[in-house]
Amino acid sequence: MSEIGISMPNVTVRGPEAPRNLESLDPVFQVEDLSVFYGDYEAVRNVDMTIGNREITAMIGPSGCGKSTVLRCFNRMNDLIPGARAAGKITYHGEDLYGDHVDPIEVRRRIGMVFQKPNPFPKSIYDNIAYGPRVNGMKGKMDDLVEQALTQAALWDEVKDKLKQNALSLSGGQQQRLCIARAIAVKPEVILMDEPCSALDPIATTKIEDLMQELSRDYTIVIVTHNMQQAARVSDRTAFFTAEVDEAGVRHGRLVEFDETSRIFTNPADKRTEDYITGRFG
Amino acid sequence: MAILTTPKSAVQLAGQGRPLREHVFRIALLSSLVIALGFLALLLVYVVQDGWPRLDSALWENQPSIRRPETAGIQSGIFGTLWIIALTALMALPTGILAAVYLEEYADKTKWYNRLIELNISNLAAVPSIVYGILGLGLIARWMQFGFTVMTGAMTISLLVLPIVIISAREAIKAVPPSIREGSLALGATQWQTIWRQVLPAAVPGMATGSILALSRAIGEAAPFLMLGAATLVRFNPEGVWSSFTVLPIQIYSFISQSREEFHVLAAAAIVILLAILLLMNSVAIWLRNRYQKRW
Amino acid sequence: MSAQHRATATGTGRSLARSRPRYGEQAIKVVLMLAALVSVATTVGIVFALAEPTIEFFSEVSLAQFFGSTEWGPLFKPAHFGVWPIIVATLEITLIAIIVAVPLGLAAAIYLSEYASRRVRKIFKPVLEVLAGVPTVVFGFFALTLVTPLLQDVFPWLGLEPKNALSAGLLVGVMIIPIIASMSEDAMAAVPNGLREGSFALGASKMLTSVRVVVPAAFSGIVAAIILAISRAAGETMIVAIAAGFKSVFTLDPTQEMSTMAAFIAQAGSGDASTGSIAYKTIFAVGSLLFLMTFAMNWFSARMVQKYREVYD
Repeated sequence: MSEIGISMPNVTVRGPEAPRNLESLDPVFQVEDLSVFYGDYEAVRNVDMTIGNREITAMIGPSGCGKSTVLRCFNRMNDLIPGARAAGKITYHGEDLYGDHVDPIEVRRRIGMVFQKPNPFPKSIYDNIAYGPRVNGMKGKMDDLVEQALTQAALWDEVKDKLKQNALSLSGGQQQRLCIARAIAVKPEVILMDEPCSALDPIATTKIEDLMQELSRDYTIVIVTHNMQQAARVSDRTAFFTAEVDEAGVRHGRLVEFDETSRIFTNPADKRTEDYITGRFG
Repeated sequence: MAILTTPKSAVQLAGQGRPLREHVFRIALLSSLVIALGFLALLLVYVVQDGWPRLDSALWENQPSIRRPETAGIQSGIFGTLWIIALTALMALPTGILAAVYLEEYADKTKWYNRLIELNISNLAAVPSIVYGILGLGLIARWMQFGFTVMTGAMTISLLVLPIVIISAREAIKAVPPSIREGSLALGATQWQTIWRQVLPAAVPGMATGSILALSRAIGEAAPFLMLGAATLVRFNPEGVWSSFTVLPIQIYSFISQSREEFHVLAAAAIVILLAILLLMNSVAIWLRNRYQKRW
Repeated sequence: MSAQHRATATGTGRSLARSRPRYGEQAIKVVLMLAALVSVATTVGIVFALAEPTIEFFSEVSLAQFFGSTEWGPLFKPAHFGVWPIIVATLEITLIAIIVAVPLGLAAAIYLSEYASRRVRKIFKPVLEVLAGVPTVVFGFFALTLVTPLLQDVFPWLGLEPKNALSAGLLVGVMIIPIIASMSEDAMAAVPNGLREGSFALGASKMLTSVRVVVPAAFSGIVAAIILAISRAAGETMIVAIAAGFKSVFTLDPTQEMSTMAAFIAQAGSGDASTGSIAYKTIFAVGSLLFLMTFAMNWFSARMVQKYREVYD
């Protein structure tokens, strides 16, 4: 990880030349003063950030800084952990994500997620993709849906002749793209990715990164990564988290800085961000 | 370090070797295991040898008889056991698997009543089987007035194997990685959809193994049936769930209780049949487990 | 690709509220919980089945008579209700079983957990399971027709009766070996490898590590296994009914025929004691005692297992 900092100016940043207007941000999520608790332990404290429509937002930071925890609030996966609780506010298109009327299952149908370790179901490739549409009661021709999702995930050509094969027979990188295809198949608006490449080799990683670029034309993507080059390469905005010890000696995750990726990697406002991306910390 | 020291100290490092007692200890451990399992082998050889003269077709074609042990059979016992096992499978397996799903997937472990259920199940798994016989006698046969019928026997045995089914089904459910559940829930599946379409199918081999082992326990069980009127000489096969009945282990017990030597041969022959059924079931269970173990 | 439309649609239109009611999900949860409650109902059923006749029994036979006498014969006339002979017989046979099973079972567990290769384990463990699955009538037959005659031949000076506590106890011991072996092995397998490595790093041998590090670390699990095995032995019916007989004598001599609590229940229960007779109620009184004894042991054992799970999981 240390090779990153020394060549900071050389880091390819998805800079201003990217064909999108970052200033007029069309918010999908707005996070206000979010704190996440596991029982009595406050894992993340006072986070404010905005996720723009059809942008790629990266969340970076050292382990234990709470970036995955925040990510899992966006589709309410944290609900599944006994004792987990979110304070503050997250809105999704202005609607309170944690409002009383909100159904977490409905939330997850609209906000897809890809996990750190590829987790295909122990079923055929076809059934993996068809699973989401089936449980969501989606109408339409399943074969077309499967083909469409696999094509979008750049996997169709590799698997079109073996759709009945068990998904576990695919390589790690293919499995992860299958998981992306599986998420796309339910036609979400947002795709959350929790360190999607950390279990993959560099070639497979490149493929996933290319795929993310491709998908960001249609989807809003939020990605957690501890690979800073990856954040720099793919994202429009970057949120830098760190873990801080408070007066009582308890560690909390904090959002340090949130800005356009080009700014974070070339001219960070906060000293801690600079230290981290130049490799002096973490 | 080895380069700096003299060869002599290097020899010291290697030379101590394993003291004798290490070997003795290891051999003592191994022989304990071999003794225990040797017992099993001895038992098998003994019953086969003893029962050999009566391992003929009359054994399963004829009904038992007190007067003619040399031609007496065990047909009513075989059929009774089949009836009991079929009904037990119908009652205990679904109940046990559903209970296991509740405890693994729904129950909040911080709630006192869920902890009570768990503690209760592990206690029940170790309650002596004769006590289940009392339960069957006092509650099912007398209080519910089901009498000494196949139904009473099957209900009693179902309650007896239920904790075993629950415990093994829970193990099978636990073995399904959480990432599968997360993957399904993240796609907007409900909890039950996740369980029904992902968790249960993945847990089926493990559950099948546990269920077979639980049923084989039921097949070998005799004590509760002693309390349920199965001990009297039954010379006909059950005609339905309200028929009186006997089971194979009880027949074996009543043959053993007779003093004539021919009955002991008959008992040994019946034991061979019983053990053959159980060994077959065990082998299937172990094969299933090895075949489907660790797919992730 | 209609992403544009979709995004707008989701963005402004559909709310995140439940799109259709899911009563099924709740109903399923209730059904599942009911299934789990069957186990609680079983316990309640056992207590209920035992309680009433037991209370009636003690209204006819005083506690002083029950626990204060050493003469047992509820099925005879005149009937005697001193319960000690069958308690002592139960404890005696349990003790013999434990003497057989603890060393063998524990040694087998240490071997399987610390010494055996994966392949060896893969062969031995299923065989141990098969041993655990042997019906107890079979062990009883074995004790009565092989072990007792064998002991009579080899040790004629023992004066072994045709039915006796010794052979029954030995076979009950064999029956509980798999319980001790497999539960202890589980407990030892739960001991973190770091402890072993720490011991090896200090130059301890494998034997020393097993005996001084692994066994103490797994101690509560091993105790739980032994208690559960004791409970099993105390409640075992068929082996004792076949090989130890039904005679109620107040003795410690294991060469004699003697009836345990479980054997008494089996004998009285399989006979024709009519409902409501004092003999019938005695079944339930003895059953209550046996249930309470084993339940206390099981509860303690389950707590011990919980304890080591909490430490290492």
